[in-house]
Amino acid sequence: MNLLELRNVESFYGANMALRGVSIDVTEGEIVTILGANGAGKTTLMKTISGLMDAEKGTIDFNGQRLNGMEPDRIVARGLAHVPEGREVFPYLSVEENLRMGAYARKGGGVAEDIELVYSYFPILKERRAQSAGFLSGGQQQMLAIGRGLMARPKLMLLDEPSLGLSPLLTQEIFAIIKRLNAEQGVTMLLVEQNAHVALNTAHKGYVLEMGRIVMADSCAALKASDDIQEFYLGKQEDTQRGQKRWKRRKTWR
Amino acid sequence: MAVNAAQEPITVEGCDTVVALWAQRCAAQGNEIAHREKTLGIWQAYSWQDYFEGARAVGLALAALGFQRGEVAQILSEDRREWLYCDLGIAAMGGIPSGVYTTDSASQLAYLMNDSGARFLFLENDEQLDKFLEAREAIPQLEKVIIFDRDGLAEFSDPQVMFWDDFIALGLEQATAHPDRFMAALKQVQSDDPRMLIYTSGTTGPPKGAVITHRNVLFQMNASRETLRFDRDDELLCFLPLCHVLERLISVELPIFVGCKVNFAESPETVFDNLREVSPHSFTGVPRIWEKIYSRISILRSEAGWLGARAFDWALAAGMKRVAAVQDGSAYSGLDRLNHALADLLVLRNLRDLIGLSRTRRCATGAAPISPELLRWFSAIGVNLCEGFGMTETSGVASVNTVEDNHMGTVGALLPGLQARIAEDGEVQLHGPAIFGGYWNKPEKTAETFTEDGWLRTGDMGRLTNQGRLVITGRLKDIIITAGGKNITPAEIESRLKFSPYVSDAVVIGDRRKYLTCLIMIDQENVERFAQDRQIPFSDFASLTRAPEVVALIGALVKEVNADFAQVEQIKDFRLIDILLTAEDEELTPTMKLKRNQVNQRHAALIDDMY
Repeated sequence: MNLLELRNVESFYGANMALRGVSIDVTEGEIVTILGANGAGKTTLMKTISGLMDAEKGTIDFNGQRLNGMEPDRIVARGLAHVPEGREVFPYLSVEENLRMGAYARKGGGVAEDIELVYSYFPILKERRAQSAGFLSGGQQQMLAIGRGLMARPKLMLLDEPSLGLSPLLTQEIFAIIKRLNAEQGVTMLLVEQNAHVALNTAHKGYVLEMGRIVMADSCAALKASDDIQEFYLGKQEDTQRGQKRWKRRKTWR
Repeated sequence: MAVNAAQEPITVEGCDTVVALWAQRCAAQGNEIAHREKTLGIWQAYSWQDYFEGARAVGLALAALGFQRGEVAQILSEDRREWLYCDLGIAAMGGIPSGVYTTDSASQLAYLMNDSGARFLFLENDEQLDKFLEAREAIPQLEKVIIFDRDGLAEFSDPQVMFWDDFIALGLEQATAHPDRFMAALKQVQSDDPRMLIYTSGTTGPPKGAVITHRNVLFQMNASRETLRFDRDDELLCFLPLCHVLERLISVELPIFVGCKVNFAESPETVFDNLREVSPHSFTGVPRIWEKIYSRISILRSEAGWLGARAFDWALAAGMKRVAAVQDGSAYSGLDRLNHALADLLVLRNLRDLIGLSRTRRCATGAAPISPELLRWFSAIGVNLCEGFGMTETSGVASVNTVEDNHMGTVGALLPGLQARIAEDGEVQLHGPAIFGGYWNKPEKTAETFTEDGWLRTGDMGRLTNQGRLVITGRLKDIIITAGGKNITPAEIESRLKFSPYVSDAVVIGDRRKYLTCLIMIDQENVERFAQDRQIPFSDFASLTRAPEVVALIGALVKEVNADFAQVEQIKDFRLIDILLTAEDEELTPTMKLKRNQVNQRHAALIDDMY
């Protein structure tokens, strides 16, 4: 079943068209990744889904409901959490207060249990529970941001560049946890990532976004095998006689 | 190569070779601008003197490296002034310049090098160098490679490879040491010597090199006085590959003839921007270019809002009425004239400004058939688009319409001095000074191309109208004979389909089959817009071609076209090619048209699916 369905979504910044008709499907239980260069429209796509931006055209359906025109808080309440690019934790609140903020829009109890659940995935946060979030390291802040997203008990989590500014080791760690959350907690993930290597190894399915358009859509295994993905996203180069290569092949997206 | 032996001499301004005329032009117009080219985004001008000195340095440096008269040298580069310096430098030394398409693969490069026996190769940059290095093993005779751009190659060195600046320095040194050598070599070039070697993309078998002589080119120059007239003040835009005979004629030979300025487009992707910047006085393109301009304007119209679209429709209708009056002799009143003048002033003039054709006296199209509807449409917006006909074997142009006497649907009158006859099987056969000197090292192929009495078999079918204009109906070997025994010319049906902005190209299939079918390449930009406007979901190109609404759109188009043809000529089924083809793909020509044979092979599964 498709948890999230986008059909021909167009978004603008003023007169500039950032998304030029994007249609994607996210099936329940999957991790889906969006690859794309800087300025391709990945973050815009995330913001449009979570209601921070309005889609000028097209439809966004989540769990059988139309999200178009809905306020972001109502969207969170329906089970869609957005972990923004650059973490955006509340720096003057403590770790635990930050986590509580994640449950703010939620009705009913169970907050304490959920905080414990987050701590079980991110033990370091438990150690620093009383510390101001602003004093956490980048990796810890990212963990906190993901934990805060989890507090909304989401069906779908939008993860915008969780590896931003993290060491390769920490990136591995975060993605291992993302994978576990998906498998153990059943959280469907839509993942935007610059680090195509780790994204393609984590996700089930991927889309390539270029200039606001989807140019390629396939399973991650098929994407990894594509020449264009290998050259433009995985940094593999055909061997040349000279041993170095400056020019780029033309993209064909096959 | 004795096919055209013993003919009367052809001269232009007292010169009987292109290189002699070129040297004369460079001397006479030394400080005037010959070329413009962008460096870091800014147009820079280069004079005729630069042209002469550049080519002289190339010629002398080559000679110093052991280049011989009558030898071929290959040039693999996008259009740029160095291409021309090499072209003329090689020709002036009595050599034969030949071009390789930048989209050709390493193995194609090796084939061309070996077929022409070239020992010298000019390369544009590191990308083309890698192509050469891959093919090097297969080119044992190679002497020297000269690279124009050093970017990215600072640490590269190879005994067989030389960089442009060192190469030119060698040429300048030679020029000081032997001041007369270059002109002496140039004067030895004879009228019947090869001016250039043009490889034709053979649809069957490997490419063949056609030898174009100096005499052929001088004939084209003289003929252009009446047909493709350029003025000395003209600005031209060079953007098609210079390996192609048409662009060579338009951007190298005719500018030498009249002394006008040539502007080089930055890259094939920026042609439309460069067109606006340059606003050339005449513009020659292939049908693909004109189809693109048409679909761009169609998109602009759909984005213009209600009022803009109405204004456009009104102006276009006024233009069409005038075209009908000129072409078909339909009624045209003074009121219509006034209406058209107003439409031109308010709408059409701005439109021409927008695409960069406001200064253009004449536009020409050739190299592939264009639909008459498109010609009428351009004429209606005030662009004088004239269709011509020619092939490599006729050294570029064989017939062309003129602005004053444009008969749409025909390819115009033959160049003065050229004769045509129609063979029994309908083939157009030509005779005269434009006919090439034969294929390079392929006497049996040359013999096949000529009739016993020495006329060129064009391979195209056609007829001559009562006014002596040539009409081309299709390729002889493209004729489809259906299982029912009916002969069908696919070109007519294809060109009707291609008029739709949604169809980029189409190939009709049905040889020895029960009925006709068609493979269609959709125009990505326009079909995406169509899908987006109607909220038809798609992700990548393949899913776009599978969207039921898109298939229905093309289906409706096929049905509409079918209505104009007899029962047996109707297309019963079609498929959309689901990969986005690029110039590197073998099924596309460098002018982005589908090659029938390649398409039949590469998409056999799609075709079989329809039967």
